[in-house]
Amino acid sequence: MRRSRAASLAAIAAAATLVLAACGGGGGDGGDASEGGVYQDCSADPNTCNAVPAAQLQKGGTLTFAIEKNISNWNINSSEGNVFEPAMAIKTLLPWTFTTTPDLKQVLNENVFVSAEQTSTSPQTIVYKIKPEAVWSDGTPITADDFVFQWKTMNGKDCPGCAAAQNAGYNQVQSITGSDGGKTVTMVFGTPYADWKNLFASGTPLYPAHVGAQQGDLNTPEGLKAAWDWFGATAPTYSGGPYQVDNWQDNVALTLVPNPKWYGAAKPPLQQLVIRVITEASQEPIALQNDEVQVIYPQPQVDLVQQVQNIPGVSQYQGLGLTWEHLDLNLKNEFLADEPLRDAIFAATNVQAIIDSTVGQFNEDVTPLKSHMFVPGIDGYEDYLPPEQGSGDVERARQILTDAGYTNIAEGQQLTRPDGRAVPPLRIRYTVGNAIRQTTVELIQSQVRPLGINLEIVPTDDLGGTTSSGDYDLIVFAWVQTPASFSNAEQTWNSSSESNYGHYSNPEVDRLMHEAATSTDLGPARDKLNEAGRILAEDSYVLPLYQKPTIIAAKDDVANVRNNSSLDGPTYNVEEWGLRAAG
Amino acid sequence: MLAFAVRRIAVSLPILLISSFIVFMLASLSGNPLSPLLNRNPPPPPETIALEAERLRLDHPVLERYWMWLSGLFHGDFGPSVQSNLDIGSEVAGRFVVTIRLIAIAMVLALVLAVVVGVISAVKQYSKTDYTATFLGFLFLAMPAFWLAILLKQAGIDFNNAVDKQVIYTIGDSSVPLPEGFGAQVADIAGHMVLPTISLALISYAAWSRYQRASMLEVMNSDYVRLARAKGLSRQRVMIKHALRNALIPLTTVTALDLASIISGAVLTETVFQWRGMGDLLLTAIHNDDVYVVMAWLLVTATVVIVFNLLADLLYAVLDPRIRYA
Repeated sequence: MRRSRAASLAAIAAAATLVLAACGGGGGDGGDASEGGVYQDCSADPNTCNAVPAAQLQKGGTLTFAIEKNISNWNINSSEGNVFEPAMAIKTLLPWTFTTTPDLKQVLNENVFVSAEQTSTSPQTIVYKIKPEAVWSDGTPITADDFVFQWKTMNGKDCPGCAAAQNAGYNQVQSITGSDGGKTVTMVFGTPYADWKNLFASGTPLYPAHVGAQQGDLNTPEGLKAAWDWFGATAPTYSGGPYQVDNWQDNVALTLVPNPKWYGAAKPPLQQLVIRVITEASQEPIALQNDEVQVIYPQPQVDLVQQVQNIPGVSQYQGLGLTWEHLDLNLKNEFLADEPLRDAIFAATNVQAIIDSTVGQFNEDVTPLKSHMFVPGIDGYEDYLPPEQGSGDVERARQILTDAGYTNIAEGQQLTRPDGRAVPPLRIRYTVGNAIRQTTVELIQSQVRPLGINLEIVPTDDLGGTTSSGDYDLIVFAWVQTPASFSNAEQTWNSSSESNYGHYSNPEVDRLMHEAATSTDLGPARDKLNEAGRILAEDSYVLPLYQKPTIIAAKDDVANVRNNSSLDGPTYNVEEWGLRAAG
Repeated sequence: MLAFAVRRIAVSLPILLISSFIVFMLASLSGNPLSPLLNRNPPPPPETIALEAERLRLDHPVLERYWMWLSGLFHGDFGPSVQSNLDIGSEVAGRFVVTIRLIAIAMVLALVLAVVVGVISAVKQYSKTDYTATFLGFLFLAMPAFWLAILLKQAGIDFNNAVDKQVIYTIGDSSVPLPEGFGAQVADIAGHMVLPTISLALISYAAWSRYQRASMLEVMNSDYVRLARAKGLSRQRVMIKHALRNALIPLTTVTALDLASIISGAVLTETVFQWRGMGDLLLTAIHNDDVYVVMAWLLVTATVVIVFNLLADLLYAVLDPRIRYA
């Protein structure tokens, strides 16, 4: 009898422990994770916060960094391999020209290059000077041959079978020639390309041509394709970066060790860097808490941020990235083709309220974005959006509609055009399963309802198909900005571009965009983009909402790891990553 | 017996074919594997999208794609994955081993627990032990698998903190890199297995212990058990040799039939604990609109379920001679 009672109590206690453990969310002593800790200086000094000199770092040790996607293709330049999370891992092995630093500036990768300069504007000519000591891990120098290989595989002409992630810019290059033993690379454009710093940059880094040549003749399309596919399918046996591959377990982890032939100024202090694949973001904070990983860089969500904040001995920092959310209208819809209706929808949309109910729940720094062309921090950003757009000023919206001759401008009624036709329910779409976007479209639905505009919320599980087919009236999704975004802007907004999903057309905007994209002087090019943006805003086609935040969280003994909200990600300075020496 | 087994397999094949057709259509029509490419900003060149569409056979009508997949199976070709480097056949084989390892250990654990607890509950019916076991059984039965897994993870972390050593792990089936030394490696792998195994086992244990309890009570109240006791056999001998053996028959069937739900449970368990088994494969494939991987998953899991159902029927006949004689 006594034994039975004891067993019962033990069972109940065990169950209670499980339940309390879940409610407790961590516990333990020590301070909460916050934007203090090792990241307290990141707002003021994004490029140098959490910096520790090499002499004060532990010699050796293992650091584990979690990424959310498996590495299914090792060729970052291919359409399949060009995925942010795996690219962060692969770039630890590759050289490139320009890095985007945490303050969103494009700077020369001085580990590899002495200089990269535009030496002529007609024809536009860029000269790269590679450091003499820059070599691949087998001792072969990094040379112009590596540039030529990449150019040929990505220009859309020399290798039709190479499914490149992009060919913008590469298809405008007329020639690439090497001199000084291949250490000076001269690139001449057929037509000027303002975004030349994006070429061979961290988004499309260099691969070793001499390794590719082992797969086929790089002067033939077949040989280029064979090399291209081999780079995609094979875990790298080469390295031109600070680390090299020690082991790869598919879908589990990439284990890296320092590259003994690394030529950069900072030598990796770690003995091993493990890049662990954790495809379920909600499990990353738990792994961090249990010290199975020491750095995580997940997509921030309310629950996840709260989880991270409750972990003792962990610091976190949220930055504002280059990805920005926006509300798009489809001008193919005959009702939305009428500008006053678009003006009214944008005036009634309260962007601050959307932020407060979504990303503002875990990041107070997010504010309404006021430009289509640049995000704050990038050279050229101007706050040009008309003040009523995104203000939530329903009275102003009513006034716009009244002035344009619309009637039945009230909740519960159906807005009617000046020609007597009622505006039918409009479909607003978002990606199914995206809770933040779901909240956003629900708020927009309620914000325009007082105008007699009825929105029907229709989620999509095929965002790409929905946008490219124009199967929407309104839609909320995101675009990614780059620090040099002139050709990107033309691709997004030009009347004839396939990416101009909502069929916006304005010849003046087309002209300004094209002039900016083909400019060799970035100052006037930025002015032209902003001018185009102002016209775009006045035409009420796309309403920018906000920059999406990013979050990094790391154990407090991790040094030199910091947030980088650009597409370079935190691994932009991976050679400096280390552990603080004890004591 | 052999004729029975062959007949059952022959009936299963059309079911497998029809289900493969339905799943292929659903998977093909519910999403667009090119969506991630089309979503890119800046977008890839149209030529790139066309190449990918051709590789994934999207330039063929869906019925033709199904036929290509079906006929390809006879040549060992499972079709193209959205991950161009993925060999679906070898990927599924590797993943299957991971899942079977998880499921097998969890099932054994759940069975042992269920039998022990079920028998004790039945023998001590309406005692505090019985009430406690009943409470725990329903608690685990009602608990969503993922929530139980997360509770266990937190308990594991608390345990590590209490002993000030990393004994229990929450991610993967082993550490990267593995610690040096045979003993340390065994401890590491065991430390990774504890939580997912318990998590999966508790869900099955909950239902099975209730079956075992009910079955045991039914047998204990039967005439032949009373007769055995009346003839002077010891209580222990009656319980183990006469009652328990017969009370295990329904559980055997339930266990085999429950395999499908255990595989479903493994989907969640593998996701939460980041084991790269069949469950993780399915979720990733659905997320990527990777039709041919979904189909490979279906083929393997459906075959396993069919085999286990057949096994249940055969075992039932073995355990209960009345079935054979009938």
